[in-house]
Amino acid sequence: MNSELRQIVSARLLAEDLLDKTVGDAVLAACEGKDGLERYLSDGEVSSAAISASGPRTAEAYLASLTVEGFRGIGPSQVLKLNPGPGLTLVVGRNGSGKSSFAEALEVLFTGDSKRWADRSKVWKDGWRNLHHQHPVSISAEMLLAGTGPAEVTAIWEEDAGLEGASTAMQPKGKRKTSLSELGWTQALLWFRPFLSYNELGSMLDEGPSKLYDALSLMLGLDDLVQAQSALADARKNRQKEFKDAEFQRKELVENLRALLAEAEDERAAASLKALTSSDWGLEVVEALLSGAAVGSDESALAALQQGAALQVPAQEDVRARVQELRAADDALKKFAGTDAERARALARLLESALVFHEGHAGADCPICGTADVLDSEWTTATKKEVAELRACATELDQAHRRFEAARTAVTEFMQLSRERLMTQLATLAVDGVEVARKAWTAWNDGARIADANELAAHADKHQAGLVKAVKQLAENCSRELQRRQDRWKPVAGQLAGWLPSARKALDGASVLPIVKDAEDWLKRAGADIRNERFAPIADRATAVWQLLRQNSNVELGQVQLTGTGPARRVSLDVTVDGVAGAALGVMSQGELHSLALSLFLPRATLTESPFRFVVIDDPVQSMDPARVDGLARVLEDVARTRQVIVFTHDDRLSEAVRRLRISATQLGVTRRLESVVEVRTLLDPVKGNVEDALALVQTAELPRDVMQRVVPGFCRAALEAAFMELFRRRRLGAGEAHEEVERQLTAAGTLTTLAALALFDDREKGGDVMRRLNQFGSWAGDTFVQSNKGAHGAGADDLRELVRNTESLCERIRELK
Amino acid sequence: MNSSKLRSLLDAAQKMLRPDPYTAGMWPRGAALLTRQAIEQALDNLWLQRAAGVEKCSMRAQLLCLGHYLRPRDLTDRVTYAWLGLSRACHHHAYELPPTAAELHDWMATAHNLIDAIGAKPTK
Repeated sequence: MNSELRQIVSARLLAEDLLDKTVGDAVLAACEGKDGLERYLSDGEVSSAAISASGPRTAEAYLASLTVEGFRGIGPSQVLKLNPGPGLTLVVGRNGSGKSSFAEALEVLFTGDSKRWADRSKVWKDGWRNLHHQHPVSISAEMLLAGTGPAEVTAIWEEDAGLEGASTAMQPKGKRKTSLSELGWTQALLWFRPFLSYNELGSMLDEGPSKLYDALSLMLGLDDLVQAQSALADARKNRQKEFKDAEFQRKELVENLRALLAEAEDERAAASLKALTSSDWGLEVVEALLSGAAVGSDESALAALQQGAALQVPAQEDVRARVQELRAADDALKKFAGTDAERARALARLLESALVFHEGHAGADCPICGTADVLDSEWTTATKKEVAELRACATELDQAHRRFEAARTAVTEFMQLSRERLMTQLATLAVDGVEVARKAWTAWNDGARIADANELAAHADKHQAGLVKAVKQLAENCSRELQRRQDRWKPVAGQLAGWLPSARKALDGASVLPIVKDAEDWLKRAGADIRNERFAPIADRATAVWQLLRQNSNVELGQVQLTGTGPARRVSLDVTVDGVAGAALGVMSQGELHSLALSLFLPRATLTESPFRFVVIDDPVQSMDPARVDGLARVLEDVARTRQVIVFTHDDRLSEAVRRLRISATQLGVTRRLESVVEVRTLLDPVKGNVEDALALVQTAELPRDVMQRVVPGFCRAALEAAFMELFRRRRLGAGEAHEEVERQLTAAGTLTTLAALALFDDREKGGDVMRRLNQFGSWAGDTFVQSNKGAHGAGADDLRELVRNTESLCERIRELK
Repeated sequence: MNSSKLRSLLDAAQKMLRPDPYTAGMWPRGAALLTRQAIEQALDNLWLQRAAGVEKCSMRAQLLCLGHYLRPRDLTDRVTYAWLGLSRACHHHAYELPPTAAELHDWMATAHNLIDAIGAKPTK
């Protein structure tokens, strides 16, 4: 967005502190375009450019000359010299004289194209090189730029280049060549278009009110406002659509979930349904559900089915191995049948004590039973052996006992796993085979109470197969049920998963929707205000121009307004015909339409913001009747007070009107000889016009002497004024001085002497030096100045004739000064 | 010719603008002739009062001098403009369209203004 408009918008935002800050920020972000707005809506940041403002101001320019070679109707190089400063210049020439070629050349130089051909076929565009002078082709314009001084813009075409293939350059005097874009005119050329052609004037109103609207709003720089509005509208529409779509899908999902639940119980579906029908759509819950996290606790049906599907019984080999071990342990234990491990152990201890005693108390008699001579070495050896045997026997028996117990436990261990709760749960879920499995399991577990090894082993052998079969069947059934549920859920889950991101986006979008809507409403309202505010001066001036142009037309132009937006945008022209309101453009004559177009577009080209101090109008007079031509001359005179107005015209009605209305203007005649040799002559300029009038008077023999003495010096004085002004403008604008300042000094000059001092010395205080300077041309110059200024009392007709001739010479000398 | 006679010339011209089958086709020229005559006579009066002799000069010279003797300044421009327009209408050009009633009306108003200005106290 252009900085000026941005400032207007931020100023308005500031002024309305009622407005929520977020809404204001959204407006500013929207001013940066679609991307800026989305950035703000997603992370809440407004780019710094949106807040800061003020871009560089472009250089203001007058045209000093235009040189054209080999372009359109102009063959050998020809220069159109212009007076760089406010004023009216008419370039008059018959059709085909080459004058329009100058106008087009200027437009092509700056814009690279010409409106005149914009919509024409290729045949039209191909004829841009001059027939007699195909090469070299160049266009250049000398300009006076405020703040820079003279600068030259050139476009040169190589021998085989197309119209678009020119190499262009801009070169401020005494500086390096740079590009044309350095002038910063790209936007301005679009907005203010200082070139108006007859075609353009004609087509502007033909193209319809929306095209006219676009052209006008473009020049107001309001295009960006429209873009900001559409960025907000798009942001709103996108979000509304996203929400609507997500809501539609949500309803569909709810339907699907309900259908699923009607078919069978499914807690995931139930939970999803509950989430989806809650006010915030329960997206967190849905996401958790989808990520596979458990729905509820272990008691959930799904968990039960999963456990059921994973049910396992002791592996057959394991059971068999343990039963085998049990039998082996039992056999091993049975070998010790009738053996008492305690007795053996006690006896061993006793015999050990006897051995110890015998060793300590030598003697062969038994101290207990008294039998003599039995405790010999033979006894000792035998007893030692027996003690060892007794100990070994006790240990083995212990081990056999322990082994048997371990083996039994190992078997009964398999029979102590309780699956009662799971079975009950599965029974409620109506899974097939639960009862069989439960019975098999109970029967199997009954074995845990059997003490006898053989019986236990037999029990295990007997029930194992049944258990394995029943449980395997149950697990399969559970798994099938799980799969069935999964099959029903999966598509819905897929749908949910697909919906989830868009739902999240939709809800995010919906949350900023009120901001976007408020911003949009505000901008729409403010936009209309800004538009009308910005347009008001143009509309007023358009009406004023029309007043002058319409002359005696019965068509009256009231308010001009830009109304509506989007496809309904249009320029509403309050046109009344003979006091009847609501008249359509259709009742206006072609000439009136052109005048109306001119009324709208002259103000555009002369807006203060425009860097172009010049306006180029090509053939505005066509299809105008004589009275309107007078009106046009007045309009141009008015614009020429502050702008350099260059009008190309093919008929002499306008130049006649300018003479008749005594409008100060320069008239250049353009003629084309054979071989496209174009010549430019000055037909009339303010100096020449006044000199001619003065001459006409001194040549009127009947004119009383005293009247002549009074009147003639006035024309001479006017001629001198024109010459001094021309010199001053050329020099000061050439030095890069601001145009307003130059005009201000000229207006403030007051007397001819002050004006001369400004023109000759750049110093309004040096009036006293004027005579000395002028007398350097000869004493006649000073005399001429005095007589023109103070009157020629006592002068005879011959003296006055000489005064006029001298005035003409002096003007020429002044104009030759630097 | 005194100012009331001048005004009666203009009244006659004004009447010609009204619809009338007898003057069909010729009224613009007729009205132009009468109006131009009123302006020229008024100028004669001005010169006789203020710069005797100028009335004998060509109209171009008279109009060029006018600015020096007549106020307000823009009245000179309007009188010049009206006289030139009226002259063009008086000389019958086969190819040129006659002035409209509204144009003629404007020029008559200018003539009235001129008579008013001359009748008023002499300036300068």
